[in-house]
Amino acid sequence: MSEEGKKHYVKIRATENMKKLMTDYYIQAKTAAGTGKKVCWITSGGPVEFLIAMDVIPVYPENHGAMCGASRTSVELAEVAEEMGFSRDLCSYARLDIGQAVTAGGPIGGLPRPDFLLCCNNICGTVLKWYEHVSRYYDVPMFFFDTPFIHKETREHAFEYVRNQCVELIEFLEDQTRRNFSENKFAEVAVKSVQAVDLWKKVLSTAEHRPSPLTCFDAFIHMAPIVTLRGTQDVVDYYRLLLSEMEERIENGISAVPEERYRLIWDNIPIWYEMRNLGKLFASRGACLVADTYTSAWAVDIRIDEPLTSMADAYTSVYLNISIDLMVDQVLSLIQRFKADGMVMHSNRSCKPYSLGQYDIARMVTEKTGKPVVIIEADMTDSRAYSEAQVRERIEAFLESLERM
Amino acid sequence: MGIDSMEIDSMIENIKYNPYSWARSWKQKKGKGVIGYFCSYVPEEIIHACDLLPVRIVGRNAVATLSGAHLQNYCCSLARTSLDMALEGKFDFLDGTVFVHTCDTMQRLSDIWRLNAGSEEHFDIVLPARLDGENAFDYLREELSSFRASIERSFGKTTDEDLRRSIDIYNRNRELLAELYDMRIKRPELLSSEKLYLIVTMSSLVEKSIHNSLLETQISDMKRSASPVGLNTVDEKVRIFGIGSLMEEWGFLQMLEEAGATFVDDDFCNGRRYFEQGITEGDDPIMAIAKRIFERPICPCKYKVSRSRVQEIMKRVQDAGAQGVIFFQFKFCDPHAFDYVPLKEALERASIPSILIEIEQGSVSLEQLRTRIEAFIETIRG
Repeated sequence: MSEEGKKHYVKIRATENMKKLMTDYYIQAKTAAGTGKKVCWITSGGPVEFLIAMDVIPVYPENHGAMCGASRTSVELAEVAEEMGFSRDLCSYARLDIGQAVTAGGPIGGLPRPDFLLCCNNICGTVLKWYEHVSRYYDVPMFFFDTPFIHKETREHAFEYVRNQCVELIEFLEDQTRRNFSENKFAEVAVKSVQAVDLWKKVLSTAEHRPSPLTCFDAFIHMAPIVTLRGTQDVVDYYRLLLSEMEERIENGISAVPEERYRLIWDNIPIWYEMRNLGKLFASRGACLVADTYTSAWAVDIRIDEPLTSMADAYTSVYLNISIDLMVDQVLSLIQRFKADGMVMHSNRSCKPYSLGQYDIARMVTEKTGKPVVIIEADMTDSRAYSEAQVRERIEAFLESLERM
Repeated sequence: MGIDSMEIDSMIENIKYNPYSWARSWKQKKGKGVIGYFCSYVPEEIIHACDLLPVRIVGRNAVATLSGAHLQNYCCSLARTSLDMALEGKFDFLDGTVFVHTCDTMQRLSDIWRLNAGSEEHFDIVLPARLDGENAFDYLREELSSFRASIERSFGKTTDEDLRRSIDIYNRNRELLAELYDMRIKRPELLSSEKLYLIVTMSSLVEKSIHNSLLETQISDMKRSASPVGLNTVDEKVRIFGIGSLMEEWGFLQMLEEAGATFVDDDFCNGRRYFEQGITEGDDPIMAIAKRIFERPICPCKYKVSRSRVQEIMKRVQDAGAQGVIFFQFKFCDPHAFDYVPLKEALERASIPSILIEIEQGSVSLEQLRTRIEAFIETIRG
């Protein structure tokens, strides 16, 4: 960032609260053994509300993967898995997670041991293979929550299948925790989840304002609570705080990027080890990443009157579980809502369901809107697959082309 | 309609160099429709019952080019070379394509195919990823019924009787392939590995009843040359079990035999996984097909609470008397790459040597592989 940029950059105050919330959460998770509380590892798209309602501590290896990526400890952990025989072409979240279980390395000294696992394939098929390994490694049971992919629309029998699995999941959790599932408690959790999701959506929507009070790089950091702990009061309180700060920014004319000139959409998981530098690069050219296809994945719609039914629907129709055509519809609606000038797509070696199809999406989006799209090749946490010079060059060229438009 | 041994050889040769020419000319001669599909989980019987020829799309041995506009280079070569062929118009004889939900790549390839290279009709069968339990079964049955309904909408109604007839033909094919495998497990010298996989691959590229006649001839030929037992003075080859998805690297198979080894059994999807487990017929043919999908050997994309793929494969490795295992995998095939580790570890515990060969169609260096394979066979021979 230029000297000029530095002067204008205003830190988000709520970040401190978020850090405390997440630190407390990880301390609780890491000291759960012996307290009678069970720890369940869960995939990022999994139905966490059931765990919260059963007083189980959810642990997210993917969130931890992001932390390892941001702290640049991911490569050494991935190498442990590679030595065990896991191909370097496999998802780097999976590799680093397999490694951290062995060495307890990374920024928080490894994740707490799971008592059981909840694996939901609405984000990819990789999680199934990854969690099968975890299940063998720790010798713990796994519940596999199967959400059929949507090519056109949800079909009734697919929906029924997922809804029935919610019931099976409840039985599994009752068995694992030796506790009864309480519908009242679940309804309470669902209410809080809805409140938090609603607040999170509002936070993301503040970026509709020109200039935007936040960038998607901020959203990537502030998404941790909605992913991990939705359904708790703390998360509701936290997003209320963050929302009021964003509204205050709008009122006082504070923008995330000094002199916002371009508004862009981000696609795919962040490049965690490079996020800060990329943020600076875009900001220095007056480009604000106003929205993304990633953080909105946690803006699922749950209806309080029918939590179970609406949850089955919501968890099946997340962004990564729908066809390219449906993804294009969502991107178009983001471009329209946020008045974006173009899109930046991260082609992520680690994530096939997110990345395969991007070339077509890019083409279709440009055809339909006339907006340019740039695709950068990288990996979310494996920096060995990243060429800084090449990516910077592509982004610079892209921003120059925006200037000419 | 018998098929003689010479005809078998020419059909094999044809499949090796022009996998789709048989289907093309069949279509011309019969004026019937041809449906392409990718995965061994596709319920071919449902397609066959509509008087259509289901043919498997198996990529090709060439460096991918045109598909680069749609698929990144970290996508497997099976998807990339197949899409290349579609974009070049090589599949213009197909009246439809069927995709089933297996891996992340196939799931996205389905959309890309439909949007850029699609044949007239495009079908997605979103199989459950979980293949046990009542819920998954009910869902699977519904999904198969809904596939049947949509293919019938395009190509005409069928009766349960039609479907049962197709099931019979397919079951017969499975029996014959199983018999062929059993014979080879006892006497691998009766059929080379290359010919074996060409025959199994051919099963998914030609009309099943014709393949059945071919298998009958092949098996009786083998029986003839096998007797009297014990008089064949052939060098004993090292017995190898193969694990992977498609085995269609013909040059590799020749080289393996030259190195003094042969595949005696496998877990390839154009091998044992394709034909193991027949369909037990009942009142409801769709239910019967669903049952087979639940019971057949599992693909690494699928999950069962009740069964472990590693244990099942270990048992088959031991039953086949295999002395070594070759993992033959496509680069960037995530499900197989994940399962490689626990399988390799189980083999180590059982003191069975194994080797991992990762390939990309179109860029296989046989000479490099030869050195590795020869060294591997050497260690087994001790």
